[in-house]
Amino acid sequence: MEPIVINKLDKSFKKTKIISNLNLTIPKEKIIAFFGPNGCGKSTFMNILSKIIKKDSGTIENFNYEKDDIEYVFQNFHESLFPWRTNKENLAFPLQINKSTNINQHISNIYNKYNFDIDLNLYPYELSGGQKQFLAFLRAIITNPKLLLLDEPFSALDYENSFLLSDKLQEYYLSNKPTILIVTHNIEEAVYLADQIVVLSKKPTKVLAKIKNPLPYPRTLDTLRSEEFHNIKNDVLRIFQSEVKL
Amino acid sequence: MKKITLIGPIVFIILWAIISKLNIIDSFFLSNPVETFETLFLLIKSGEIIPDIIATLSRTLKAFIIAAIIGVPLGLFLGESDKIYESFEFVIDFFRSTPATALFPLFLLVFGIDDSSKIAVAAFGASLIIIFSTAYGVMNAKKSRILAAKIMGANKWQRFKHVIFWESLPETVIGLRHAISMSLIIIIVTEMFIGTNVGLGHRIIDSQYIYSIDSMYAAIIVTGILGYLLNYSLLFLERMYVHWAGK
Repeated sequence: MEPIVINKLDKSFKKTKIISNLNLTIPKEKIIAFFGPNGCGKSTFMNILSKIIKKDSGTIENFNYEKDDIEYVFQNFHESLFPWRTNKENLAFPLQINKSTNINQHISNIYNKYNFDIDLNLYPYELSGGQKQFLAFLRAIITNPKLLLLDEPFSALDYENSFLLSDKLQEYYLSNKPTILIVTHNIEEAVYLADQIVVLSKKPTKVLAKIKNPLPYPRTLDTLRSEEFHNIKNDVLRIFQSEVKL
Repeated sequence: MKKITLIGPIVFIILWAIISKLNIIDSFFLSNPVETFETLFLLIKSGEIIPDIIATLSRTLKAFIIAAIIGVPLGLFLGESDKIYESFEFVIDFFRSTPATALFPLFLLVFGIDDSSKIAVAAFGASLIIIFSTAYGVMNAKKSRILAAKIMGANKWQRFKHVIFWESLPETVIGLRHAISMSLIIIIVTEMFIGTNVGLGHRIIDSQYIYSIDSMYAAIIVTGILGYLLNYSLLFLERMYVHWAGK
């Protein structure tokens, strides 16, 4: 998969401009975090990249990926799980759609590898918010997508489980090297996981800064304590502060 | 059945007994519960009412099954497209608002005076309810689940088969429950007025003609129990197979 190059992207809903003249190159096989004020159009941007909605104008190069190249975990992930299917059948769904063989084997491999505490014979409505989040994550990576979009992936998780999911996400990233885009309004999550933090402006969204994070993977709790981590976080915060005028 | 659910029927029967004992309503119009249940017991014991129950049940089920076979696919089809639904919304709403019983004469002309006209008119009334509920269920399917399936690569047919159909199922089942009650109502009325030799509606109206008030009330009670059981069986199936509704 080649880098996705976005030029002069515009998107409006009715008369409100959501995204205006957004230019960005998304490097391949990196984790990119999008950080910005609430309601700034981060999700709209993800929806355009996942082809749920169409852009108004601008160009996106290398945007011709196939259906099974991309997976997306929505912010309202619990409304994207299928309550009439067991957790196992939920994991099987993308494999069935992509006509995979050995579906059961595939599920038990990924389940054993990532080892989340989810009873696969139950239904999604019998799980806690955090377990549903894990299930949605597993369902997204089971087809090994080249582009993984995560919209607020830690929103339903407590501090401990956020780290657990961060660990698993890094594990997946290191073994499969997909391009991962994460939308978050939590500065610490953004800096902790990303190779590059894209700071977005208030509506209409444009790119304020791209800040690199060269810290090596896998990042751990020690990373959070490091001086480099704090320096990068402060850089992001400074740009964010000037935008929202705190 | 919980014990608490028995309180309502017991209070109802006691009130009935008091009203009848104090002659608040002329005993010619309201028999007392003891005599009514005696008559009911005798009608069942002698087997006299059994053919009526079987006839009414069989007509109701036939009408319901025909209505479901027509109504569910049609509702799914109409609900799938806003444009198609809007084109037919007035027609469906018009016939839904027209009492199916008003169409008796038409169905008599087309199907004759035997069972088929009774079943056809009940199936017609019931199918409109099913069409409406199913279409409503499809139109109100959660967009996020359809989108999730789309992103996972599901084509239009797969999204329909794996997501939209299931999303609409809780509403469809509610429609089926209303429809089975509607089938029974229409069948009972047609048995009363179109004419038949057997059936609970026929027994109720015949008992009234010959002033056999005990027998009339007994047949009404059996009809009520039948309606309750039909509704309850669908509720049971709903809890078993649509366990995830609203979750």
